[in-house]
Amino acid sequence: MSFTIQVNNSPLEVHQGETLLNALRRNGIKIPTLCHMSGFTPSGACRLCVVEIEGKKDLITSCSYPVEEGMAVKTNSLRVISARKSLVEMLLSNHPDDCLYCERNGNCELQWLAEEMNITERKYFSQKNSHKRDHSSTSVYRDPAKCILCNRCVRVCEEVQLVTAIEFIYRGNKTTVNSAFNKGLNVSSCINCGQCIMVCPTGALVDIPHTEKVQSAITGKKKFPVAMISPAFVSAVAEHLGLKPADNPWGLIVAALKKAGFKKVIDMGWASDLNIRLEAQHLLKRLEDKAPEPMLSSCCPAWIQYAEEFVPHMIPDIATAKSPQQLMGRMLKNEDYGLQDVAPENIFTVSFSVCTANKFEASREENTRKGISEVDAIITVREFLKLMRSYGLDIRRIEPDSFDKPFSESSTASLQTVYSGGKAEAVAQQLNHLLNGNKSAMLKFTPPKNPGGRKEVKVKIGKHEVGFAWVSGIADVQKYFDDLKAEKRTDIHYVEVMACSGGCAGGGGQPIHWQPDKFRQRKKMAQEMEKSREARVAFENIQMETFINRHIVSEEQEKCLHTSFHKRDVLK
Amino acid sequence: MDSKLTSIFALFPNKQRDDLIPMLHKIQDEFGFLSEEFIIDVGKYLNISINKIYGVATFYDNFRFGPKGKFHIRLCHGTACHVAGASTILAELEKYLRISAGETDKNGLFSLEVVSCIGACGLAPLIEINDEYYTNLTLDSLKSVLDNYRENHNSIYEEQ
Repeated sequence: MSFTIQVNNSPLEVHQGETLLNALRRNGIKIPTLCHMSGFTPSGACRLCVVEIEGKKDLITSCSYPVEEGMAVKTNSLRVISARKSLVEMLLSNHPDDCLYCERNGNCELQWLAEEMNITERKYFSQKNSHKRDHSSTSVYRDPAKCILCNRCVRVCEEVQLVTAIEFIYRGNKTTVNSAFNKGLNVSSCINCGQCIMVCPTGALVDIPHTEKVQSAITGKKKFPVAMISPAFVSAVAEHLGLKPADNPWGLIVAALKKAGFKKVIDMGWASDLNIRLEAQHLLKRLEDKAPEPMLSSCCPAWIQYAEEFVPHMIPDIATAKSPQQLMGRMLKNEDYGLQDVAPENIFTVSFSVCTANKFEASREENTRKGISEVDAIITVREFLKLMRSYGLDIRRIEPDSFDKPFSESSTASLQTVYSGGKAEAVAQQLNHLLNGNKSAMLKFTPPKNPGGRKEVKVKIGKHEVGFAWVSGIADVQKYFDDLKAEKRTDIHYVEVMACSGGCAGGGGQPIHWQPDKFRQRKKMAQEMEKSREARVAFENIQMETFINRHIVSEEQEKCLHTSFHKRDVLK
Repeated sequence: MDSKLTSIFALFPNKQRDDLIPMLHKIQDEFGFLSEEFIIDVGKYLNISINKIYGVATFYDNFRFGPKGKFHIRLCHGTACHVAGASTILAELEKYLRISAGETDKNGLFSLEVVSCIGACGLAPLIEINDEYYTNLTLDSLKSVLDNYRENHNSIYEEQ
């Protein structure tokens, strides 16, 4: 039901039951907010969305107030404007004001608000908080001094990711966001997914940067720097910079990194294909063994960490294949078949990824060999864009180059891994190939069109009736597993699990841009890019197939493509 | 697990979220403070994240996370005491004991807590040490009280 309300003396059509903020924003009226996140229950903590409602004595927070028939609202009266200004001034009263040295300089909601509210001097002085900074995590760096206690990270961590690694500690002006006993994130239940970084309005939560060690590796003479570019990374950069698949975003990124000093640039999609191949083999074995539980994908490091911490009983059902990043590192740093003219200890592998959990993954003990890590550094999209700026490279104005052999080709299956659901299809196609041979037609794999519903597809491959499912966002993942168990389902054989909503397209290393549907735009970009590639299924990546058939012959060599997971005791 | 803790848990068979605060109270009454181990056990029992429990427990001044000293000093910092100079008394206490409010000193003799109002405004400023009240304090009288406790702590403690 719709009705009309008066906003700033002009009529506005609104729907029954929606919040005032929603109605105003839908009609293009700008209302500043800090704590509001669409899709979440309103908290009304920051109070920046206040408006004046005729007949009410106090200002009302529009984010938590439903529209009422006959209401008359003023969104920019002097009283409203000055109240908002005071609120921002109070938020600034204990802010460190070190914008020049802040990671989020120029991309900070508090900075924008201060500018919008025309704040030109410090009006209130209060004691700066003295809570310790937290460097302990492999992926996330916390600086409580810059925190404005908007609650967004706490809510994402609890409601979307179900991890609750951070919470408000203490009270009043001593309040801070921290984990239990004020210990670091490294001993908390944090899964390094980086979703808190994505929603932080200021620089209180940022990456643990790897930029400097990469810079010293590419300028120094001792190391042989190799860049590994993940398909998700390419599509994210292309989407961010507005490139079209026809512009050859792969080639542009390769060329830029070569100019920056990388000796070799290779396609991590190659390893995605290999990962799909390994998971399909594993799945086939489980189908033949009639395993009762569905197999779970292993490519998402944040999901793996969640499983190790919260659902260790599920570890035996997780695919043993290494993730694409680690497979690639393993391939490169190998005396027998990697980069033959360089010793493994001299190779410096840098993974370009959209994931902060990759930073944790690279530091896992299983992912080292003879004391050498398979992957030395991870550069997120944010870090990459900064790196390019500091090197004065404009990707859009560069002659494209091509990936270095023998890791230069990838199929569109690798691009499918960018978004939730794609990997499940890629594994299904690969399984079809395994069972029906080269001549088989592409499998008909149609995702259900049920927004918000379960994502399941059942296909007949050979004599097997195989159920594929995909879930993303840990809260949805956990709910799906609980439902499977409660309903005693046996018709699902493979579940693609991604820790971030929307899959890697919504990853924690993406450019900061809090739009709930941003991952859809990135997915669209990846799907457009798929059309420009020839090899559609992982097994059509002839380069990878030939390489594996030639080099991975013994059982020992086969073993290095797999890894193991173990129960993890954390404060949870 | 501590058997006393198990018997406290047995009082809350429904394992509801609302059981958290009463449970923390019972644990503090029994053990004097909330240790990390207890908080972890409570989290496991009620299936609540310990980060959440720690957030709740630190919100309330009443919960302690370390043992009390032999002599627990409560300094009144209500309005009347504040006007009468409780801040100066607090600063002197912290200087003398070499701890901040909410802490216990190294040898476990004194612990210091700031409370909002004891209800003896006419006698401000005042402190309470293990149910003994010392009122109308000056810096000199405070020092002599503390010196007395420090020198004769064994005999005073036995008397109590």
